Amino acid sequence: MTTATLETPREAAAKQKVILCEGNEAAALAVALARPDMVAVYPITPQSSLVEHVAKLIADGKMDADIVDAEGEHSVLSVLQGGALAGARTYTATCGPGLAFMFEPYFRTSGMRLPIVMTIVTRDGITPQSVWGGHQDAMTVREVGWVQMYCETVQEVLDTTIMAFKVAEHHDVMLPVNICLDGNYLSYGASRVELPDQAEVDAFLGDKFVNWHVALDPQRPMAVDPLTGGSGGKGPSTFVRYRKGQCKGMQNALRVIEEVHEEWAQRFGRSFAPLVEEYRLDDAEFAIMTLGSMTGAAKDAIDEAREAGKKVGLIKIKTFSPFPVEALVRSLAKVRALGVVDRSVGFRWNCGPMFQETLGALYRLGRHVPAMSFIGGLAGADLTIPHFHRVIDATEALLQGGPVPTEPVWLNERD
Amino acid sequence: MGRSFNTIAFDPSKCDGCGDCMRACASVKYDSEDTSRSLIQILGRETDKGSAFELALCRQCGDPKCTTVCPAGALTKNGESGVIEWDGSKCVDCLLCTIGCSYAGIALDETTGRVSKCDTCAGNPACVPACPHGALRYVTTSNIYNEVGDWEDLFAPGLAGCQGCNTELLMRHTLRRVGPDTVLATPPGCVPGMGSVGFNGTTGTKVPVFHPLLTNTAAMLAGIKRQYKRVGREITALAIAGDGGASDVGFQSLSGAAERGEQMLFMVVDNEGYMNTGMQRSSCTPYGAWTSTTPVGKSSDGSHLSQGKTQDAKNLPLIMVNHRCAYVATASTAYMEDLYEKLDKAIQASKTGFAYLHVYSPCTTGWRFPTDQNMEVARKAVETNFVMLWEYTPDTGVHFTRPVDKPLPVTDYLKAMGRFRHLSPEQIEHIQKKVEENRRIVERLAENAHAA
Amino acid sequence: MEQTQYLIVGSSHAALEAITAIRMHDGEGSITLVTRDPHLPYSPTVLPYVVSGRSAPDNIALRDAAFFEQNRVGYRPGVAVTRLDTTRKVAELADGSAIGYAKVVLATGASPAIPPIPGLDQVSYHVLRTLDDATRLREAMQRSRQAVVLGAGLVGMHAAENLVKAGANVTIVEMGPHLTSGYFDQTAAGLIEQAFVENGAKIRTRSRVVGLAPEGGEIVVALEGGDTLRADLLLVATGVRPELDYLDGSGVATDRGILVDDTMRTNVEGVWAAGDCAQARSFYGDEPVMNAILPDATVQGRIAGMAMAGDPGLKPYAGGVPLNTYHFFGRHAISVGSSAVPEGAQERVRFDPASGRHLKLIMKDGRLLGIYGVNEFFDAGVMAQLIQRRTDLSAVQDRLFEQPLTVGRELMSQIWR
Repeated sequence: MTTATLETPREAAAKQKVILCEGNEAAALAVALARPDMVAVYPITPQSSLVEHVAKLIADGKMDADIVDAEGEHSVLSVLQGGALAGARTYTATCGPGLAFMFEPYFRTSGMRLPIVMTIVTRDGITPQSVWGGHQDAMTVREVGWVQMYCETVQEVLDTTIMAFKVAEHHDVMLPVNICLDGNYLSYGASRVELPDQAEVDAFLGDKFVNWHVALDPQRPMAVDPLTGGSGGKGPSTFVRYRKGQCKGMQNALRVIEEVHEEWAQRFGRSFAPLVEEYRLDDAEFAIMTLGSMTGAAKDAIDEAREAGKKVGLIKIKTFSPFPVEALVRSLAKVRALGVVDRSVGFRWNCGPMFQETLGALYRLGRHVPAMSFIGGLAGADLTIPHFHRVIDATEALLQGGPVPTEPVWLNERD
Repeated sequence: MGRSFNTIAFDPSKCDGCGDCMRACASVKYDSEDTSRSLIQILGRETDKGSAFELALCRQCGDPKCTTVCPAGALTKNGESGVIEWDGSKCVDCLLCTIGCSYAGIALDETTGRVSKCDTCAGNPACVPACPHGALRYVTTSNIYNEVGDWEDLFAPGLAGCQGCNTELLMRHTLRRVGPDTVLATPPGCVPGMGSVGFNGTTGTKVPVFHPLLTNTAAMLAGIKRQYKRVGREITALAIAGDGGASDVGFQSLSGAAERGEQMLFMVVDNEGYMNTGMQRSSCTPYGAWTSTTPVGKSSDGSHLSQGKTQDAKNLPLIMVNHRCAYVATASTAYMEDLYEKLDKAIQASKTGFAYLHVYSPCTTGWRFPTDQNMEVARKAVETNFVMLWEYTPDTGVHFTRPVDKPLPVTDYLKAMGRFRHLSPEQIEHIQKKVEENRRIVERLAENAHAA
Repeated sequence: MEQTQYLIVGSSHAALEAITAIRMHDGEGSITLVTRDPHLPYSPTVLPYVVSGRSAPDNIALRDAAFFEQNRVGYRPGVAVTRLDTTRKVAELADGSAIGYAKVVLATGASPAIPPIPGLDQVSYHVLRTLDDATRLREAMQRSRQAVVLGAGLVGMHAAENLVKAGANVTIVEMGPHLTSGYFDQTAAGLIEQAFVENGAKIRTRSRVVGLAPEGGEIVVALEGGDTLRADLLLVATGVRPELDYLDGSGVATDRGILVDDTMRTNVEGVWAAGDCAQARSFYGDEPVMNAILPDATVQGRIAGMAMAGDPGLKPYAGGVPLNTYHFFGRHAISVGSSAVPEGAQERVRFDPASGRHLKLIMKDGRLLGIYGVNEFFDAGVMAQLIQRRTDLSAVQDRLFEQPLTVGRELMSQIWR
């Protein structure tokens, strides 16, 4: 368990209700607590039960939002863009093919700096046909300027979903946020969840802050997204100003995510590592890196390996976009060999995408750390403790000066 | 804005020279049977094709010469009625006004020795109803201009449309009519090409305006409208889109929004292709039309390999009828009164549901016809039934607003532009058949509506 | 010193048209009008009717004060320009003040040309160019029994008719061979003369006044050849010419009038001229002419205004076409175009002495050059268009001659469609 409990839970924490629910339902409950004005939905496995829960909450009067049953994900996000430009706090969820279909407005959401919150109930895809979990969808869109945070537990899904609105609407950020929750494992996995009190969530989120900077409002008319760029006039400088602003917002998000997690811990008594989590790393000689729900099994494997005398620790990435280079470099500085487990594929480098990104961080570290890529858990495959022991053993071999493989290890190749 | 005035219009093709108008005028004005005293003069002449008729009548000029050459201040243009008024008490019978007029609109009356001219019978000209052939019309569309002219123009001057394009007219009028409490979506195409959203920080529009994607206009507008409705603010969500974005790649979001009854006015300016980006084919491009992606091929032996588009156009407005929208109508800029009426109804309908207005809009550039021929081409489309003007509401069903019972042959339309120049007789026959087929389909809908 | 963007000098047709044209294109630039006449704008052409009493002096204004207000024109009547400093771009005014201008149009019209007749300075005589002239003449006319009119142009003829109708014995003295020369041809002039004689006027053409002297409250008019006439009222109407003294030293080129190009611009930057004071190209040749007629003043004023305001719609001046109408004793005469019959041109004339109807067409290469009529019905404006457009009339010229009214209207209706 990663959920730490403060020694003296505050009053707010005491007011929390404890329930048992799946990740999709937890996300829906979190959305209700965040009080969006508008939710647009289109069902897709394994996201469907999430939007069904949202629809039911609205139908039951437990959530006051305008729900738009759009005819596809493309329109889902487009409706929300319109809503946000008119000042609405907005939410949706999708995955896999749905995410691919909404790519056009998806790309545009970050460019328009709209603080839309969207859960990706991650799904592998698209061919071979698969309806099961995997990070391929979210990883594919990692370069489009959305903030992406991956969750490890159902509780983290709930808490991060609420925090996502605060991050997105932060004055220094103004960017859309994805909460990535693993299809199957978190979407359908039920666990004990503490449900925060509505008033406390209201106080935490404060006033919504959606379209102060860009609006379609007859009371303050503006032309939104005029043709920009070209090689003449003020085209180049205007375009660069926009893009640089997006990049700055992304970098600001690293700070804001930390602040928001800190405030969350203070108010609700649960803390999560905002960017990078270290597990038994301080005295470790080598480490493995994980993302999302696989981390639970990985931590168990670490515990067992430690008992067997191996000086291994774990680095978990929570905020994948923007990539937390500085925080990661601080963690990497503690180890001399690294094994990175991805739940998706990077076709270009023949390795996992997180591995590839980590190589960049290792360059910043300025010291050679032998590292290898593991790919597992694709299309709903299990990543179990034995799988992670293979990861630990192979990484340990690097520590001892073994050859650094140029190919990834496919963990479920013989499952 | 300046003022526009009603005027007496003459259609020589309908005139047979019967002289009833002149008799009516002489009778009303002078209680006389002497038609030479009529203030409207019809003149017959013989041509190769038989008799033709000409007109001498005061044009009530906007910038009249007669008034400027009058030394006595006896002629003035009435700023309210537009009529050039003659003050007999000031006139000194010098006849200089007859030198100023190039239309023989003011002339010496032999009987009185004074000049005389038409005063439109104070806005109720006796000659017009006297014409048994409809060759004279008292055109009152100036009222529209005067009314509209008082509304704020919400587009900046100098929009960069092609010469002869009527889209600017549509844009300006529509926004004037809808007014400032509007959010305007202009998806990629000619309309933003003209500068509606603007370029590198400058804009041509005074209401909130945006480029949706080509694909998501209706969806984005739906989100906007819903949020304002949620917070209790009244705005009009307006799209001015092209046919490509609406019928092709944007059709899904259009259909979805229509099905959900999103409250908006979706206007499609149908120029039958992707004209802004180089005249490519869309699903609204008619059969046989040349476009840059349905070119007219020519093999080395000179024979035509391909002959323009090989499929018929998608009938988008009929498809929208089948969405049971709150309002659907087709319109043409050649029939502005019809268009304006429909626009008013569409605006009203958009307050409670999805209103769809499909405006056929000839493209001087992409259709290849002279830039002064836009209205003529638009009119011919209607007169041949190539385009039909109708409207639909769930209560009243489909009905024609300007039925054309004796349509001209479709060739009259096709020959007006270059994009059909290559057509073979078989292709023309196909188009004629399709025109009739389309006509039957709409007619049947209209009949059913009537029966219901 | 007052400064204005557009200075208009003069207040009749050319000046008023210039203002309208400027305001069509430039709604903002300041306009100031100065004119030596103290009255609201009026047309010299209407003055004979003031004399006759048909037009009341207070009912002839071409524009009222509201016009100047609406067009935001600083209107300063009763102040003549005494000097134009084109280097400093300043107009000096008779009241001692001055106005700086960016652009100026001179529309100062013309004044009566006073012939050098010995003794003229010894006698009291009338002219007719201003409203005050007209009022004076009207007053004098009531008492006149014996009037002499020098000059048989349209001003003189109008005044003579008025005097006849007021009961005076009137003698018209004209140096030329017939009346209204320069306006109408000999046949027309004959018809006009006949009408005057029938109404009791005396006509002395080819007659020159050689001396004038006062005698017992009357004027003795000595004619060449020894005849004398006695008059209690003498009207000098021997033509007009522009008064251009105020341009001395301005550098503005003048001949008989102010020389202008086809946009009514003078040789000096920022200075335009229009109307009776301007000398511009003729429609029939390149030689600049004085075409001091009302319709041309409006055309020139319009062009000058457009040019001053930089209106891109400006079309260059096509050249002056003589255009005249004349009503006399219930009959009318109209002349449109040139009276000259150049080589290769045909003159077609018909005259019906019984009805007094007279028509003359001058055609060349199927084009109309001029048309004259007395008591004949045709539309002068239509004919002017046919001339100015050089419309090919080869196919219809016989019909046009037979029925100028109908055929002219047919042709224009087709052109305008």
